[in-house]
Amino acid sequence: MNGRRVRAMVRRNALAQVRNPGHWFLLIVLPIVDALLFGSIGVAYGDGDAPVRLLITGTMLFHLIWQVTLAGSLGFLEEVWSRNVLNLIATPLTEREVLASLGLVGLARTVVTVVLVGGVGLGFYAVAPESAGWVLVPGVLVLLAFGWAVTLMVVGLTLQYGDSAEVFSWGTLVLLMPLSGVFYPTESLPAVLEPVARAIPLTQVFDAAREGLETGRVAWGRLAIGAAGSAVSLAAATWFIDRQLRRFRREGWVTRFT
Amino acid sequence: MEEGTEVLRAEGLHKRFGATRAVQGVSLRIRAGERVGIVGPNGAGKTTTLLMLLGAVSPDAGTVDLVGHRLPGGRSEAMRRVGFAAGYLPLPDRLTVLETLHFFAELYGVERPGARVGAVLDELSIRHLAGQHCESLSSGQATLVGIAKAVLHHPRLVVLDEPTASLDPDVAIRVRDRLELLNAEHDVTLLLTSHDMREVERLTDRVVFLRDGQVIADGHPAEVVAGSGHADLEAMFLAEAARRREEQV
Repeated sequence: MNGRRVRAMVRRNALAQVRNPGHWFLLIVLPIVDALLFGSIGVAYGDGDAPVRLLITGTMLFHLIWQVTLAGSLGFLEEVWSRNVLNLIATPLTEREVLASLGLVGLARTVVTVVLVGGVGLGFYAVAPESAGWVLVPGVLVLLAFGWAVTLMVVGLTLQYGDSAEVFSWGTLVLLMPLSGVFYPTESLPAVLEPVARAIPLTQVFDAAREGLETGRVAWGRLAIGAAGSAVSLAAATWFIDRQLRRFRREGWVTRFT
Repeated sequence: MEEGTEVLRAEGLHKRFGATRAVQGVSLRIRAGERVGIVGPNGAGKTTTLLMLLGAVSPDAGTVDLVGHRLPGGRSEAMRRVGFAAGYLPLPDRLTVLETLHFFAELYGVERPGARVGAVLDELSIRHLAGQHCESLSSGQATLVGIAKAVLHHPRLVVLDEPTASLDPDVAIRVRDRLELLNAEHDVTLLLTSHDMREVERLTDRVVFLRDGQVIADGHPAEVVAGSGHADLEAMFLAEAARRREEQV
């Protein structure tokens, strides 16, 4: 792994994203809109500040994982849209360096989104972003690991399907949001969907966050299940991307990007 | 670089995509300072061969040693001494020419990238494009910037896929002049593909003619033409293209 090449890719990625108005919308506007939307729903229909805290914390955690996924998948798609993939292959850059740069940009985006959603919560609803307590530290790590797994899957699909895979970059997490109980216990879902929800590692983290908000305790058991699920997802995603990269060379998919 | 040193050795390359045999047993050795053109009609296997030589496509059989490094394991190390430009390939969106060249200089590990980028811009007389965004460049300008990208790191081998495709004749002449200069003054080995046989005759001192993924002739352009019984390389190319069309019909 060459740090200079990773740094160059991070800079290229950051410049491309900063100069693309679509990224500003996804990174700045949407988290603020969601925080205002759910914060106000909490105020309108809740009793006391507990529902607002729950909804703002859910919004923050959801955008955190979403931004990791977006940064990675859209970062790679940016090279596809630019038809820059072959240019990159014809340099010393390695696949690991590309992925590392996407991950670093993703982490930077999560910081922005946490600051924005936290700022809206604190500024407009007097809800502290850390109100769920210590559960947020391991919870965020589990979410980041799962988000990275989704990113690897989407990049793997993009290698095969090119920009047709764009929908997965933002759609995967949108699909998981209602199922993983970001804003409500999974018992609120139709009974037929509950087993599906339980199988998603994110569900355990959001449950643990709610427990943290309600009782102040860290639900280590739930977090452990979530961490194990994320580890399995990450292992599967690593296997998938490795397989896709080998197929990319074997099947000559590079010609789809020229 | 010492004259005669091998910069590329490919042995017995085979590649099949489904039922199509794209490349069948291509072997190629290129020495430092050579100017080699890979030619052949559409579907002859030029681009697949080139992509295998760059490590972008893995061969079903055969080996590639690029500037002393065996692919695929040595790809990253090899690409530190290999440049690549394609006439059909745009440069990254949303970056200026200066930012793009600086970015690639960093990827290639160029010492003092700022100074080197400036020098290459001057060498190719394109300093006036430095602040322009890549997506706003004309085809000719983009080709010159692509060549600048390919030579930033003092490569031993520059691979060019259709370097003057879709360029106006005057710009194409300028690009060819620059490539000749690179070879003559900087001892850069050139490996190119082109559909323009006059360009190949002018730019190369060796032609590798492909038909159906196989090498059917390899030598100085005049020797290849003499061996084919045609008047010149273009006539040979047209005859091959016609033969291929008839086969497809």
